[in-house]
Amino acid sequence: MGNVPTKESRSRSSTFSSNSGIQPPSNGDMTGFITRTSVPRRYATSSAMNQSNSNNNLGGLLSNNTSSLLDFKKSKRQEEKDRIQELHYLNLLVKYNENVDGGYLAPFGTYKSNLDFNTDIVRKLIINRELSPFYTPLQDFDESWSENELLIILNQLPLHAIDIAYSDLEENLEDDIDNHKIHKSANYYKRQEQKLKLKNLLIKIKNLQKDEELKFMIEKEKAKSSDNTNVEISSNDLLLALYQNPLECPICFLYYPANLNISRCCLQPICTECFVQIKRLDPHPPHDETSNNQNNADKKFLPHTLISEAASCPYCASPEFGVTYDTPDNIFTGIGSNVKPGDYKIVKDNEFDDEDVDEEEEEDDREEDVLDDEEAVITSSDSASSSPLKSNPEPESITKQSSSIISITKRRRRRSSLAANAPGVITIDMIRPDWEQRLTSARNKLERKAATATAIHASNLLLNGDEDSSRSRSNSNIMMTNSNRNSANSHLVQLQTVEDRMIEEALRLSIIDEEERKKKVEAEEEAKSKK
Amino acid sequence: MATLPKRIIKETERLVSDPVPGITASPSDDNLRYFEVTIDGPSLSPYANGKFQLELYLPDEYPMCAPKVRFLTKIYHPNIDKLGRICLDVLKDNWSPALQIRTILLSIQALLGAPNPDDPLANDVAQEWKQDEQKAISVAKEWTEKYAVSKD
Repeated sequence: MGNVPTKESRSRSSTFSSNSGIQPPSNGDMTGFITRTSVPRRYATSSAMNQSNSNNNLGGLLSNNTSSLLDFKKSKRQEEKDRIQELHYLNLLVKYNENVDGGYLAPFGTYKSNLDFNTDIVRKLIINRELSPFYTPLQDFDESWSENELLIILNQLPLHAIDIAYSDLEENLEDDIDNHKIHKSANYYKRQEQKLKLKNLLIKIKNLQKDEELKFMIEKEKAKSSDNTNVEISSNDLLLALYQNPLECPICFLYYPANLNISRCCLQPICTECFVQIKRLDPHPPHDETSNNQNNADKKFLPHTLISEAASCPYCASPEFGVTYDTPDNIFTGIGSNVKPGDYKIVKDNEFDDEDVDEEEEEDDREEDVLDDEEAVITSSDSASSSPLKSNPEPESITKQSSSIISITKRRRRRSSLAANAPGVITIDMIRPDWEQRLTSARNKLERKAATATAIHASNLLLNGDEDSSRSRSNSNIMMTNSNRNSANSHLVQLQTVEDRMIEEALRLSIIDEEERKKKVEAEEEAKSKK
Repeated sequence: MATLPKRIIKETERLVSDPVPGITASPSDDNLRYFEVTIDGPSLSPYANGKFQLELYLPDEYPMCAPKVRFLTKIYHPNIDKLGRICLDVLKDNWSPALQIRTILLSIQALLGAPNPDDPLANDVAQEWKQDEQKAISVAKEWTEKYAVSKD
């Protein structure tokens, strides 16, 4: 613990070095900064600080090397992160030719935040028919609409709510807690850089989505004007089969085809777009621990007490929210099927064999179901390129409607609530498997914070009891200490000292950051000139 | 201003077309996410006959996070502090996207009927509530009379 004064004097000296020199500091100082940055600086305990300090003048070259190696590793990691991020956002593009049972593999864009679910996993689940596909929602629905009216609306639906989903692309960049500071930290610049990168990526994604939308429109126009229909565009039969009896999702209030996901516990419907929004709360201390006295609570805060609980069902609050999904009885198109959505024709009830329906609902042996189901649809879809409008509408569709209602209710009644680990249940942790990692990092962060706090606390205690160390401090302080030494008011001095130290520390950090920034600029310029 | 999500539009419409007895909520003209709310104090509670003003704001993430609600009328209640902030689990960690403006306001009304001094927000009030419930209730009645009952 005797290292504190050393640390103190060092931080002072660095204060002076930059005060006296507007030009960059001497080499010795530079390496000092580098060594310090190569230890996890912000959270380093004072002893670590001291170590790096003693290395200061000896190992200039060495530390230079290690820091460049670290930089290299860092940039590699950053590249990897950027790549993953780009893939993630590319996966969020709705593409009309990536469709499953008339829905898509990416969300419509009702929500613009919380899109950090694992897109690869969700896409796989949808393709495997374990989760309802992302259907384009209907904003409104009225039972009195005729089929033609419904079709007109359905055919006008876009792939994605671009305007809503990317609406705050223009803002937010300047939003930063450090914005008001004159000397901004290196982290600030890093954050800004990251934000700019993300913004550019989002602009790119937005444009890609626009292109996709345009393609989709053109193909739909073509289909209207000629027989040359694009098989990837859902046929009117498919649209009607899906949307004639839509259900309102109780969370977003939008209308979806009735084959929504069903909560495992209380059998309530939820659309996939809302389902992927539901996630664990950020790691937090358990509730019993939170006391009213803030200080008390802080002291009790041990890192390992942070917890993270699986989200509960939004409807019945059962823990570990999960859903199951039953594929629609008579629709099987797109990825994983031989039937393209454009070829889909409504199957007459009598062509449909009850056994198929039953098998289809089994959760296991999905592959086999898939084959059975396929045959059922293919047999009726041989005349693929026929008229886009339905030929014999009224009576058939009514029977179909009622039969589908019956089958939905039948299915619901058949299933009772399931355990979170039952086969076929998709939990929210399955689509965000990184929760454990988040918890660990939150705990580590808190631990580091606690360590820093302890270090500061300890050094203050030391300062307090040790007159020598305060003597080596600024003159004014000594005056203060001396004059007040015998007075009962030593508490005030203590406060003063703490404040001084905090200011010094802030100065020191900002100087280090400034140096880092300069170094970075230099490095960039160097890189440019090399090019 | 960004377009309003369908859910908020529909909730607002339904609040107007099918109002909850004893509760009003109307969106402000310049910000449709901001609601002016009144809640009638439940009869048989110290807040009976009071009409309490509240403000309610739907954050960007709504319905994935809870609406922000605050009492504007002064109220003497162990779970509501001087600034009108409310200690209610469903406004915090127990928020569920299946809840609505309507249900949250009903919960607040229920909280008026059932103060919970064991999980306080206003410590002094809770203390008094626990020490002398009768006196606390009479203070609550007084405040209701003073601040929440219209004079005309």
